[in-house]
Amino acid sequence: MGTFFDFIIEHISQFLQFTAFANMTFGHVIMICIGLVFIYLAIAKEFEPMLLIPIGFGILVGNVAFAPGFKIGVYETGSVLNYLYFGVLQGIYPPLIFLGIGAMTDFSALISNPKLILIGAAAQLGIFGAYCIALALGFSPTEAGAIAIIGGADGPTAIFLSSKLAPDLMGAIAISAYSYMALVPVIQPPIMRLLTNSKERLIRMKPPRAVSKVEKIIFAIAGMLLTTFIVPSGLPLLGMLFFGNLLKESGVTKRLADTAKGPMIDIVTILIGLTVGASTQATTFLTLKSVGIFALGAGSFIIATTGGVLFVKLLNVFLKEGRKINPLIGNSGVSAVPDSARVSQVVGLEYDKTNHLLMHAMGPNVAGVIGSAVAAGILLSFLM
Amino acid sequence: MIMQRKIKHLLYGIAVLLLVVAGTDLAKAQNAIDLRINEILVLNESNYVDDFGMHNGWIEIFNSAYSPINIGGCYLTDDLSNPTKYWIPIGDPATIIPPRGYVVFYADQRPARGIFHLNFTLENTETIALFDANGRTKIDELKITQPQKVDVTYGRLTDGGENWDFMEFSTPGANNDHSRKASAGEKFVQMDPYGIGMTMIAMFVVFSALALLYIIYKNIGLFFVQKASKAAKKDLQATIPGKHTKEEGMSGEVNAAIAMALYLYQSELHDEENTVLTIRKVSRNYSPWSSKIYTLRKSPR
Repeated sequence: MGTFFDFIIEHISQFLQFTAFANMTFGHVIMICIGLVFIYLAIAKEFEPMLLIPIGFGILVGNVAFAPGFKIGVYETGSVLNYLYFGVLQGIYPPLIFLGIGAMTDFSALISNPKLILIGAAAQLGIFGAYCIALALGFSPTEAGAIAIIGGADGPTAIFLSSKLAPDLMGAIAISAYSYMALVPVIQPPIMRLLTNSKERLIRMKPPRAVSKVEKIIFAIAGMLLTTFIVPSGLPLLGMLFFGNLLKESGVTKRLADTAKGPMIDIVTILIGLTVGASTQATTFLTLKSVGIFALGAGSFIIATTGGVLFVKLLNVFLKEGRKINPLIGNSGVSAVPDSARVSQVVGLEYDKTNHLLMHAMGPNVAGVIGSAVAAGILLSFLM
Repeated sequence: MIMQRKIKHLLYGIAVLLLVVAGTDLAKAQNAIDLRINEILVLNESNYVDDFGMHNGWIEIFNSAYSPINIGGCYLTDDLSNPTKYWIPIGDPATIIPPRGYVVFYADQRPARGIFHLNFTLENTETIALFDANGRTKIDELKITQPQKVDVTYGRLTDGGENWDFMEFSTPGANNDHSRKASAGEKFVQMDPYGIGMTMIAMFVVFSALALLYIIYKNIGLFFVQKASKAAKKDLQATIPGKHTKEEGMSGEVNAAIAMALYLYQSELHDEENTVLTIRKVSRNYSPWSSKIYTLRKSPR
């Protein structure tokens, strides 16, 4: 009888050792709190809920402490989460998301006023500013390149590049990129107000002209060829972006475009959000490097916004009266679509209730998507 | 007829372009043509042993492509007049060379010992050649002009590179270049420790790419705007009384009047036969010509 009870007690204690309570560390508690904050921000404040809910919940999933060896964790070969994480590690999900983004993006604002494309280029200064700072802080060149892409304010691009250059830091980089994208309405307005005067904020821009279907089709094809001929390493992202856009604009592949911008992007968003969140296991995530990445992420967003706004001011020096650009759309050169364009609209309306900047800001905003993908291609070709 | 001629010219143009491209190195497919004889050992006394523990001469083949290549079906020979001297058997997974990978063939004249054992030796060989599966296309050739040293391999200084020499280390099935190499990123940072160079180059490239897009789109836009204004002028002329010759050139006003009449008819208000329809252009500061604004999510509270 005694032997039987010993057997029962031994197995109960063995079972207890396998529970998350027994394996929990202080780091896991911190990460679970961070996950809960993400979920709170998404639900209560509606900060990027489509991203923060999957990532926040993924953080919870990734930080349930378990005894290793049972094919449970995202880093354990053969586990379900590991299979799902494969799409992140190999950079499969980001191009699929770009396909969906292409299928849902209307480039009309950009096509009707092509000089707005240049603002999307200027805002990429955030990426390379962060690269310089990261090098100065002692990160390796590949790590610095992967961290710098946070300044592009483009989650899929950040995941794509970090999976190639610094897979170990991908969780921290993705979380940082998405966090700051959610915080665009908080980070950008003070910089925009600081860098513009009251006269500039009231500049009215000419309404965009109507763009024909043929122009949109040519844009998708020429855009892909031109950008990828210059930076072939950006092909997975740029190719899919423009392909998705052609599906939309051709008008004859509505079903494909609907799938790309609907069910497909939703599925991939769920998978990428959950697995990136789950990759933030306290044991691998809570390091000084992660703290540095978060600090650099904030810096890169500030530099990018500053670069965009100052570039518009510079451009205005050369533009005739009546053709000037409102510098409040300079911030939207970072590619957080459409949040940064919405910030331009909101801040613009604060100074003139009838000056709607949204459609103008969408131009640099989508140019920022192209610009950040090109920048990622450059970093990849120089550092890999 | 003119259209057909234009299409014909376009097709000729595409065909010529394809021929030109096909002739360049860039258009090379990643197949057996990317295989290289990479390193050889002619006189083996105490060097690498084969899977039977024997010292034989050996030939290392390198896959310079970034995709796997199956060497099965190709031919190795030491006699150019007999290019199909040793046929490498097909169907064996071991003949698939991984991207940037290697296989080693033992020149022991004992093919019965396995598919990597050749039917010739290297002692008196002057030429080694690798032929494609058709037995005619020479993929790579090595002429052994220098006297070979015992246990010292002769190979390309870098894998797949042009320069050959005696090697300091024998590296069968491994990288020929043993010198410490910095990664692309490390090399970049050695020259540009603060990232200023990277910033300048990268911003230049980003600007160039998007500026090119800007220039092209500015001109395409101008073309379409001009085309639209010409069409508008034509429409305007067509609406001038006496000049309205085409029935399909009906203005928006006429369409609106017809639509209104149909609406009244369907609403059974056809008694109002002498109504004047006034169409006034709506003037607004902001025109939501695209409905994107309505598809945005709510601003965060």
